[in-house]
Amino acid sequence: MEDSTIEDSPKQRNWPIYLYIPNIIGYARIIANVAAFGVAFTNKKLFAILYFASFVCDELDGRFARMFNQKSTFGAVLDMVTDRVSTAALLVLLTHFYKSHYGLFLGLLALDISSHWLQMFSTHLSSKASHKDMGDSKSTLLRLYYQHRYFMGYCAIGAEVARHAVAERTVYGIVLVIALPGCAIKQLVNLVQMKTAADVCVRYDTHRYSSKSQ
Amino acid sequence: MRGLSPMAQLSEWLSPTKNCLLFSTLQESTFGAVLDMVTDRVSTAALLVLLTHFYKSHYGLFLGLLALDISSHWLQMYSTFLSSKASHKDMGDSKSTLLRLYYQHRFFMGYCAIGAEVAYILLYMLAAEGNIGSPYEVTCRSIGNGTVYGILLAIALPGCAIKQLVNLVQMKTAADVCVNYDYARHNSKAQ
Repeated sequence: MEDSTIEDSPKQRNWPIYLYIPNIIGYARIIANVAAFGVAFTNKKLFAILYFASFVCDELDGRFARMFNQKSTFGAVLDMVTDRVSTAALLVLLTHFYKSHYGLFLGLLALDISSHWLQMFSTHLSSKASHKDMGDSKSTLLRLYYQHRYFMGYCAIGAEVARHAVAERTVYGIVLVIALPGCAIKQLVNLVQMKTAADVCVRYDTHRYSSKSQ
Repeated sequence: MRGLSPMAQLSEWLSPTKNCLLFSTLQESTFGAVLDMVTDRVSTAALLVLLTHFYKSHYGLFLGLLALDISSHWLQMYSTFLSSKASHKDMGDSKSTLLRLYYQHRFFMGYCAIGAEVAYILLYMLAAEGNIGSPYEVTCRSIGNGTVYGILLAIALPGCAIKQLVNLVQMKTAADVCVNYDYARHNSKAQ
């Protein structure tokens, strides 16, 4: 995860940004994700290991960026895009594992895409108004959906077990019951944020037209 | 599992047409542009998810196309925001620069975008009507048989392929914008 301020000491100028250590970790994370979803149907244990490896990379790249003073806008965007794609891939996986409730997970995918897209747009429009750096607003977005993504990862890994677990009251079942309200609240928050973000878009146009007519 | 209704299929076909209509009338709004973009993203994603189900053996191909669609559009969007900040241009003005480019190459871009959506819908139709096999087998068979779907697929597929290449190229260009943004900021600080 990247922090808000992006600083580059003069020493780093000769080190190409694409080869910054946290960005290389970012590439490793992508490879781990690709490998994980490649085996998602054939080898669930391997999927769990690879997905956990990508989660470790996600944790490390932020720390390394701070440690080596190698924060970059590209790194922040890479992080964000990888999160978006891996959430989408997880939801696709769930449409396959819970085929009878395909609509639920497709709906969650639609909600995820729309709410984050609208939020990104409205953040951009507000930052233009307040002259804030686009990079600063990125970490709030990341924090918002990070928890949601952990739950999705857990769901995919525990899909087979979870189906029987609630009835048998095993550990997975109990954790699932605890995590579900959080997941539900997150979706409600997504919905609310979509409306708020859409309002920002409308207000942006209204202000533009009213300042033009003055 | 319900498939796409005829109305949903129709709205898929109309989406690029709707874009043309939107910009030709004067009822542009930022919210409308965002709504349009979001609808495109979600409907493409949903179509690709459908295809992972109908061609389960080639699940990876359609998941990969979904990943490419999401990442390239997100990167493009982010880099557009960064460039417009760097040049202090108004969001509306940079939108019209994009529009100007779009109109210059409108027909070719339209063909590629429509080609991709049409190819996905046709693959769905072919699978839904009981054609079994990999997407490659189904495509070759329908083109070889010279059915309506086959002919349309033969026309649409090059556009679809070009669209994916363009997506890849735009990812690299957008990433470069992110990198140059940092260099420009650092240089202006050093001065």
